[in-house]
Amino acid sequence: MTDLDFRQGDQPIPGPQTNNLADILERVLDKGIVIAGDIKIDLLDIELLTIRLRLFVASVDTAKKAGIDWWETDPALSSKASRNALEDENRELRERLRALEPSEDAPSGGRSAPRRTGQEEHTGREKESEQR
Amino acid sequence: MTQPSDARVASSSADATVTYVFAVCRSTRATSALDVTGLAGLPGGEAVRLLPSGLLTAVVQTVPATDFTDEVWQRRLSDREEVERYARAHHAVVSAVAAHGPVVPLPLATLYHDDDRARRRLADEADRFHTALKRVAHHAEWGVKVYRPLAPEPSPAACTPAPEAAGGRAPGAGLAYLNRKRGAQARREKLREQALDVAESVDAELRGLAAASRRLRTHGAELSGDQRVHVLNATYLVADERAHEVGRLVAALGERTGAQIELSGPWVPYSFVGEV
Repeated sequence: MTDLDFRQGDQPIPGPQTNNLADILERVLDKGIVIAGDIKIDLLDIELLTIRLRLFVASVDTAKKAGIDWWETDPALSSKASRNALEDENRELRERLRALEPSEDAPSGGRSAPRRTGQEEHTGREKESEQR
Repeated sequence: MTQPSDARVASSSADATVTYVFAVCRSTRATSALDVTGLAGLPGGEAVRLLPSGLLTAVVQTVPATDFTDEVWQRRLSDREEVERYARAHHAVVSAVAAHGPVVPLPLATLYHDDDRARRRLADEADRFHTALKRVAHHAEWGVKVYRPLAPEPSPAACTPAPEAAGGRAPGAGLAYLNRKRGAQARREKLREQALDVAESVDAELRGLAAASRRLRTHGAELSGDQRVHVLNATYLVADERAHEVGRLVAALGERTGAQIELSGPWVPYSFVGEV
């Protein structure tokens, strides 16, 4: 009926020597054996969880400084933001080119649209190792 | 809100309570001798206790119903300090029980209307629990994170020389600027590929030591002023008798690759009980 659980090696596993909240959260929110409860609690919104994790690894001060919607401007998390990053860079390049090009002939007003450089800065996270 | 089959409507009066389940272990003599009364458990709850149910024993706590509704949890999850309190409390109970034998943790916030309901659900899932317990017995989980080394600032001389412009004239400053941009992009790309190669080889070596492994999502570029790029977040199920090899291997891999590798653990095997 009962089998005694004496650990071999005489060394019981101590609690994890980690105080990193992000590590704890990604385990207690997202892992463990899931069985249906009587009360439905929805903690498994992956996208939100990712954002939360990012928020948690930040120091409280930086998070406050960045404002509560800082991920809105993060290309890795928002397609809108990556479009904006591209537009910002295009604008910057256009301005620099305008400043650098010799202005032999006065600008005729009807500038052709600049070509997109397609060079996007990757400031966000590398989305390489997703769970398999 | 799932209605219980016995049609008892959960009362939301101020003193209604529900049963919070932390983890499940086997009903052994060692388990029944466990003293969990000293564990703090979740804020506002009664004493942490054991709930035996045949061959399985759950570690549970009676908590106020009003404090554990979905709405309250949604609010709690957007409050850093609150979620930290609850996550750490849950984790502390799970870890304390795991010091005495194999244990299968449940995720945060698995709740039943009362002990009977909890017992019934455990019985329904008994096979899964036994499989998971067998799997994690005498094993622990170890987390490994690899960060890309910080790129040294490139000297201007290191920039890719500009290709000859049409007509053989030296390129203008605008073009040079664009080329510099391209060079920087190419360098970043190369660094990223190298870092991913390191991540792959670290993962391969550790898998050789482990009974099982999982890739977790890498954490985003941290805002804490830490500019490191996180290229591998993985976790490994390792037999207790090989635990001492993990630290040695991680140190050796760090030396060999020059990457920053962080080890955490031993953890209760949270990541290896879900797929049973």
